[in-house]
Amino acid sequence: MSEESPQKKVMKRLIKAIWVFNWFNSCGFCELVPLVGSRWDMERFGIIVVGNPRHADVLFIAGYQTLKSIKRAQRIYEQTSEPKVVIALGSCTMTGGMYWDSYNTIKRLEDYLPVTMYIPGCPPRPEAVFEAVGKIFKHVEEMK
Amino acid sequence: MVESVREKEIIENITKNFKVDVGIQRERRIWVKSPSEDLIDLCMFVKNKLGFKHLSALSVTDWPKKGEYELTYHIWSYDDKILITIKTMVDRENPEIETVSKIWGESSQIHEREMHELFGVKFKGNPDLSPLFLEDWDGPAPFRKDFDWREYVRNEYYSKDNDRESAYFGRD
Repeated sequence: MSEESPQKKVMKRLIKAIWVFNWFNSCGFCELVPLVGSRWDMERFGIIVVGNPRHADVLFIAGYQTLKSIKRAQRIYEQTSEPKVVIALGSCTMTGGMYWDSYNTIKRLEDYLPVTMYIPGCPPRPEAVFEAVGKIFKHVEEMK
Repeated sequence: MVESVREKEIIENITKNFKVDVGIQRERRIWVKSPSEDLIDLCMFVKNKLGFKHLSALSVTDWPKKGEYELTYHIWSYDDKILITIKTMVDRENPEIETVSKIWGESSQIHEREMHELFGVKFKGNPDLSPLFLEDWDGPAPFRKDFDWREYVRNEYYSKDNDRESAYFGRD
């Protein structure tokens, strides 16, 4: 059996459950809310929403981001402890979506935050969110 | 049309003291057109003498052809249950007007702050006109009718060379 690197040992312990912090603008919360209900129930899969970015492993960003809110998002990103993953949820977050011609909406999220994964859709399918989170687990599993 | 006695009383009171255009739009709705230099006196009068204690809203309408902004103050009286609308015009290129925040306090302060952000109207004497939402904004006042936001967004956010974003150019 191959020796595990210290980094993987740490990550394996951290990854038992994924703690997420939500930064949701406008209808952003509706995009994750099917996951909270009993049909998809995210807690079964170890996704737990926390109230403080300092406890979080994953930062979910949803809804359109404005000139004002993106600064708050950046501050939240800075407060999230390493190792951290940023997941952009929904088309407004990624490209501005239907607000593509709004003077006040962020059009490229990656210009402001290092985004790990995008989940497209309006709203994204809950399965897509699970797949994204599954990829985080998989990434740790495949680490050397 | 039913016009109650109280509305006629209010109109008489105002026309006695000010040179303004007045009218009863319908029951419990009065409008007044006033020149901008009389606005503060008129507002003081309707609040202190006629009991219009609540400034419900302050809005700005842009009239680019006339070269003017129309400021509209909607003021409610709890005693009489009457809404009075005071309208006044200011110059569009250099919109300046005295603040009413000394009369109605906080509620008018935040309305003026918003109108300053969206239309660029300077309310002289308002203690805080910092932007509500448009932090670091350096474009023109966004709610002006001659502000072409689509053009602004193209120049500011998109690039023609980008595969996806090139689709945003050349359509209106």
